[in-house]
Amino acid sequence: MTAQAYKVCMLGDFGVGKTSLVARFVRSTFSQKYLTTIGVKVDSKEVALPGREPLKLVVWDIAGRSALDALGAHYLRGASALLLVADGTREASLSSALNLLMQSRSVLPNAAVSLLVNKIDLVERWEVAPTTLAELRRSLPVFETSALSGDGVEAAFADIATRLMT
Amino acid sequence: MNSEARLPPAVESYLHAVLVQRAHPLLLSFDAGWHLRDAQGDAAFYGIDIAETASSLRDIEDLFIGLPLDDNHDIPFVELGNGRSAHVHLIVEGDGFHVLLLDAEDERSRQRVQQQLGHEAAMAGHEKSKAIGRLKEIRSELERQRASLEEANALKNALIATLSHEFRTPLTSIFGYLHLIERWFDQTEHSTQALHAIRRNATYLFTLAENLLEYGRGETGAALLNPVEVDLGALLFDIETMVRPLAEDKRLEFRANLVVADASAPMFDEVRLRQVAINLLSNAVRYTTQGYVAFDISWRDGLLRLDIEDSGIGISPEFRERVFKPFNDGAQSGRKGAGLGLSIVRRLIAQMHGKLTLESEPARGSRFRVELPPLARDSTSIAGARAATPPRMQDTHVLVVDDDPDIAHLLEALLTDLGCSVDVADNAQAAIEQAMERAPDVLLIDVEMPNLSGNAAVFKLRSRGYRGRIVTLSATSTGDARDASLRAGADFYLTKPLNIEQFVGVMQRAAQGA
Repeated sequence: MTAQAYKVCMLGDFGVGKTSLVARFVRSTFSQKYLTTIGVKVDSKEVALPGREPLKLVVWDIAGRSALDALGAHYLRGASALLLVADGTREASLSSALNLLMQSRSVLPNAAVSLLVNKIDLVERWEVAPTTLAELRRSLPVFETSALSGDGVEAAFADIATRLMT
Repeated sequence: MNSEARLPPAVESYLHAVLVQRAHPLLLSFDAGWHLRDAQGDAAFYGIDIAETASSLRDIEDLFIGLPLDDNHDIPFVELGNGRSAHVHLIVEGDGFHVLLLDAEDERSRQRVQQQLGHEAAMAGHEKSKAIGRLKEIRSELERQRASLEEANALKNALIATLSHEFRTPLTSIFGYLHLIERWFDQTEHSTQALHAIRRNATYLFTLAENLLEYGRGETGAALLNPVEVDLGALLFDIETMVRPLAEDKRLEFRANLVVADASAPMFDEVRLRQVAINLLSNAVRYTTQGYVAFDISWRDGLLRLDIEDSGIGISPEFRERVFKPFNDGAQSGRKGAGLGLSIVRRLIAQMHGKLTLESEPARGSRFRVELPPLARDSTSIAGARAATPPRMQDTHVLVVDDDPDIAHLLEALLTDLGCSVDVADNAQAAIEQAMERAPDVLLIDVEMPNLSGNAAVFKLRSRGYRGRIVTLSATSTGDARDASLRAGADFYLTKPLNIEQFVGVMQRAAQGA
């Protein structure tokens, strides 16, 4: 039996670690080298949740941007979930992620949304304050992640999978 | 020229050939259920295996999830399984549709080069502006410390970090368990003597280690000062206990005296104070062969004065400055010693904004006078008042997090002794889960832990709304390390080895604020 597939889009400023998060989730790999994404890379992974049918997450790793242009909006069409990604060491990337969320609402009014604040392994250099995330957590699920160590990555994708099933 | 005019057939044919050659079109035709009906073009060019339709074409199908299949679509710059980039089009025809792939690799490569340069420049710019901000902050300090910067280099910093941790963690265990043994068990004369000997030698080891670390640290990474209320009587007693046997071994008279004229509590960094006194007294004993060594402490007019006087060999005027240089190797006499003591003493006194004067006459003796103004209280690290029996902290629930089982057990025992209810976790992830399930009044967490660091755990808890007090414990005693911990969300920052009274004071303040 084929698992039900859901399109999940990764959206965030350049260099925040979207590609690395997908590589960690799908292939359990990490590379220190930064290689900018042009267009989109689509990967998929089946997720088995306890007591439920497995489902397939088709993850769209969309080129980094701080604002949603026509091409970005084009890529979002048909998505069931949106993973916004910010870099904890660059506070401006958090503003970009929230900006992208507001702009994407016109294309995806009903998509499930989570915020992944990446690079928790560099917490000593974070510009994003814990109180800021505590405030954001009131309106959307927030995960501190590290594509390098894998911390929080599995949990973030498992959470979105759970919410897609319900 | 009419833009709609047909091109000559030869040109049209040539143009078609060129475009086909550049675009490498691959046309896949499907029925409404995504069953492949026909394929035209070089599928292998895009890493697609037509024969192995199940998984190869599933990736194509996945591109159109959530999109209506009765309408045309185009998705530009899709990176395919073999790494090539293509523009992917869906074209509806009748009850089925075609998927057309056109090569976009050259275009993507060009864009990638430009974008990569732009992004890297922007990220480097961000790092640069952060670095400039930080540089501005430390420039004034660096200028003041320029003379000492030559001492600082990367290898030494790494050595210091390692030594710091390696010395402080076991010393925390030794001092902590000594404290517990003295509190828990009735002592005989022999056991008291033995425990004093252990404490004396551990203190000596600690002083020696601190001297080396202090030297290695240089003035660029000055350690944090920890102002506590100092019991001058106990300080004099402890130092006398340590130095008198050394003096008596050389048949020297040892005199110790304390005058307390001020009613106010003397606030000083007790560890540094001991370091200064022990270094000066060790030197006095070392360079005196007959006569006496005298140690006077006075606390009056808001000034703490230490006088260390001896009837030793003295220091001739030409050596007065040289003895304060590190590794002077007993400059004035060729006597044995690391040659670090006086340079450390001078540095520590400067850190505490004090004054050091020397009077000496060759063959008659020397007198060092140290004058120190009291330190201000530090809201993140000072201890409360010294107490013979620590006040109880009933009803305070503390979660202790440390990967070193000896330290975890010690902290648990100390806190249980204070009346706290204590839970223990041996890693940061478990601590987060425990704290979110049952929030402790106070979280006491080690910073240096494998995998998730203590600071990262503190950040995660704060960002999840944990409002209890957090005390971090670290073997790193630099201002930067403390600031990083406080920025992550800690309320207090303690360094190893633990000063028990300071620890009790901080835990009480944390519990009161919980």
